[in-house]
Amino acid sequence: MLLIGGVVAAVVAGRHTEDQGTATKTVRGVIGSEKAEFFADPDVVKALAAQGYTVKTEASGSWAMEGLDLKGYDFAFPSSQAPADELADKYTAQKPLPRPFYSPLVVVAHRGAAEVLAANGLATLGEKNRGTLKMAAYLDAARRDRTWQQLKGAEQYGELTGTLYIATTDPETSNSGALYLAAASYVANGGKVVTGDADVDRTAPLLRKLVSVQGAQQSSTDAAFRDFISGVGNPLVLVYESQVASLLAQDQSVDDLTVLYPDTTVNSDHTIVPLTEEGRALGELLSTDPQLRKLAVRHGFRPQGATAEFTAATADHTTYLMQKLTVRQAPVPASEVLHDMARRARGQTGDPA
Amino acid sequence: MRRRTAFAVALTATAALLTACTAEEQTPAENNEPIPGTLRILASSELADMKPVWEQVTKDTGIELRPTYMGTLDAIDLLAKDRAKGSYDAVWLASNDYLRLRPEAAEQVVSETPVMSSPVAIGVKPETVRELGWKPEDVTWSDIDEAVADGKLTYGMTDPSRSNSGFSTLVSVASALSGAQSALTDADVAKATPKLKEFFKGQQLTSGSSGWLAQAYDRRGDVGALLNYESVLKARKDLTVIRPRDGVVTADYPLSSLASSSQDVRDDVRRLTDALRTPEIQRLITQRTLRRPVVASVPPAAGLDTGRRRELPFPGNRSVADGLLDAYENKLRRPSRTVYVLDTSGSMEGDRLDGLKKALTDLTSDFRDREEVTLMPFGSEVKSVRTHVVEPEDPQSGLDAIRKDTQGLSADGDTAIYTSLQRAYERLGADRDTFTSIVLMTDGENTAGAGPDDFEDFYDGLTRAQRDIPVFPILFGDSDRAELEHIAELTGGRLFDAQQGSLDGAFEEIRGYQ
Repeated sequence: MLLIGGVVAAVVAGRHTEDQGTATKTVRGVIGSEKAEFFADPDVVKALAAQGYTVKTEASGSWAMEGLDLKGYDFAFPSSQAPADELADKYTAQKPLPRPFYSPLVVVAHRGAAEVLAANGLATLGEKNRGTLKMAAYLDAARRDRTWQQLKGAEQYGELTGTLYIATTDPETSNSGALYLAAASYVANGGKVVTGDADVDRTAPLLRKLVSVQGAQQSSTDAAFRDFISGVGNPLVLVYESQVASLLAQDQSVDDLTVLYPDTTVNSDHTIVPLTEEGRALGELLSTDPQLRKLAVRHGFRPQGATAEFTAATADHTTYLMQKLTVRQAPVPASEVLHDMARRARGQTGDPA
Repeated sequence: MRRRTAFAVALTATAALLTACTAEEQTPAENNEPIPGTLRILASSELADMKPVWEQVTKDTGIELRPTYMGTLDAIDLLAKDRAKGSYDAVWLASNDYLRLRPEAAEQVVSETPVMSSPVAIGVKPETVRELGWKPEDVTWSDIDEAVADGKLTYGMTDPSRSNSGFSTLVSVASALSGAQSALTDADVAKATPKLKEFFKGQQLTSGSSGWLAQAYDRRGDVGALLNYESVLKARKDLTVIRPRDGVVTADYPLSSLASSSQDVRDDVRRLTDALRTPEIQRLITQRTLRRPVVASVPPAAGLDTGRRRELPFPGNRSVADGLLDAYENKLRRPSRTVYVLDTSGSMEGDRLDGLKKALTDLTSDFRDREEVTLMPFGSEVKSVRTHVVEPEDPQSGLDAIRKDTQGLSADGDTAIYTSLQRAYERLGADRDTFTSIVLMTDGENTAGAGPDDFEDFYDGLTRAQRDIPVFPILFGDSDRAELEHIAELTGGRLFDAQQGSLDGAFEEIRGYQ
């Protein structure tokens, strides 16, 4: 089994709306784990109940949903459009699919590491806690096995030694790790999305390198971000912007964390695959209900369409967050291609299994 | 302390570890029936120090916790063999890094959430730090290696095949000394072998558990340092704890659900995880256990240095990880040198002798290259002394010879425990280039030859180096616990129980100490 089929319970207790006094409709869905906290938030439960819904969710890796039997569920809610499209085809869900919110992939670093990258032409720093990672320059450094020691200024920081790389989750099991390969392959492929075997072959050695230098990888972005916040791990870690924004929204101290937006990144498009009419209605609700959109922002997500809500909610954190995204969005390769890329990047040779 | 090692029948190596660091009753996994409202947690042995934290969490959440402690690598083995299902609700190991290298174990766990962290560190006697002229914040693994090569530093560490702290240390040392800039490869390990050999010459103590390692270290008094997790070393308060500047491997203690658990159980695990990550509990964790918190709003306990360290990447595939372990056991570490003092008195006749033969024969598959094994069967006196070495060029012939001698054992005579032990000490002399120990297996009380007082006098008359050789007695058949415990205590060994567990299990567990 390549993908984690594990399902994490995130059952939201059924509640009746206080004001309407009528029973709510219960809808059941499988969601990407990074949305578990959103659905478990008591205010979200209340807002859904006010609209007549009790939502029960189970979390699963987005790329594992296609392996699950979704009979009895009203919707699936993966973190990417590609697995969503596949599920839609499989269950003949009507397109277009609702995409209530999204979040770009970012790289977190401590200030010192970010400054070293900037001093060596690998990043630009604007705001105090924010910058842009130059993907082409970074991939070039990776191709040439550049180490931190070779970067000027790194000697001031004891922890900045060893090969320069971005730590990601396992691309075979986790969405963010797979999307990282999507972004990197797009840049490596000359700004074109990887489509066929020739493209995969051409980009495979670099992707293999990006992954193999990391050694053991975390299986969830949450764990990777936790480790970073607690001062453990690689100097550069790939996470979702929503994780950083959510932490900032809770006014948690983030030390000297710096958010680097890759100049070519990939959005994690949280896409609903309606399996029933109820599921479709819920998808519409999440996309349009002002209260739910506001709550999504509280959890760090960017609602689709207008940017006003995200802008307003993050006004205090503009030194960390790029409110208006001015980085390029790389399209994600087809699921099958991405799977193939991930498999080859992880390499089969060393695996005894 | 009563040992409950029925579990060992199924799962040899893990059993007695359960009792290593806690006086609490342990529940054998086979009888680990589910209880509503209670989470049965398969936990790394060192988590026994979390008791005050767990009590608080139970108060906060109403969730009762029932931990079963086990070495991390043994726990992973249990998961890989699909034996955790139905007996446990959650897994809480020092790290899931090695687990991820074993897909059949990795697929059993879901939703890993790190709860706290502690890096590998070296704890050095303050006077040794001064002698070496070290500034603790600047020390690198190369500095440590140099001090070892110059004969100025010795240390103890746990067995990497059994203990995660030992394994993390091994990965840290190999990464740093090989000069690998990214995740270790087989080529890095091969390249670093001469340097690593030199480094591991400094290892004077090995142990299957952190608890016994600390005891042995105190008893010896002449070992300069301990390699272990920062939290373990800091708790001692008598060591200068150094996180080498060129990088460490950190345990991040992920709490994980089992994929086989029901939704309700997984929901409880999630509630437990959330409770453990509240600022209050994080503060309690760092203050009580000296591990580091994982939420940014809680600072590490006083005395935990907040300077950053590079995290050395953990090997990304099993062939590198296992290759490193294999190199350590068979090439890098000091070889072990052991005398097996085996009771073959008349009372061993029948099933007991058959059991001994089977256990010893099975054990031969576990002997390492370069290991010297002496079989010393005894009855009224020592019957024979046969020594075999597992030569790296031809390990099979040494192992075959041990098996052949084992099959030739026969039962007769009385039980001359102390006289035979004296013979073992005389035979071993002193050898600082091996891990030297004596295993004593007996099924009865001493009935012939020297008595306990004679042995004490004999032991007192030994050289300092000889007195450093521990006896690991195995409680078996009708042997006397008090008598054997006394021998273990006198010689700085440890008692292993094959009355409640199995003889195979005891022999296997002792491997971690040889």
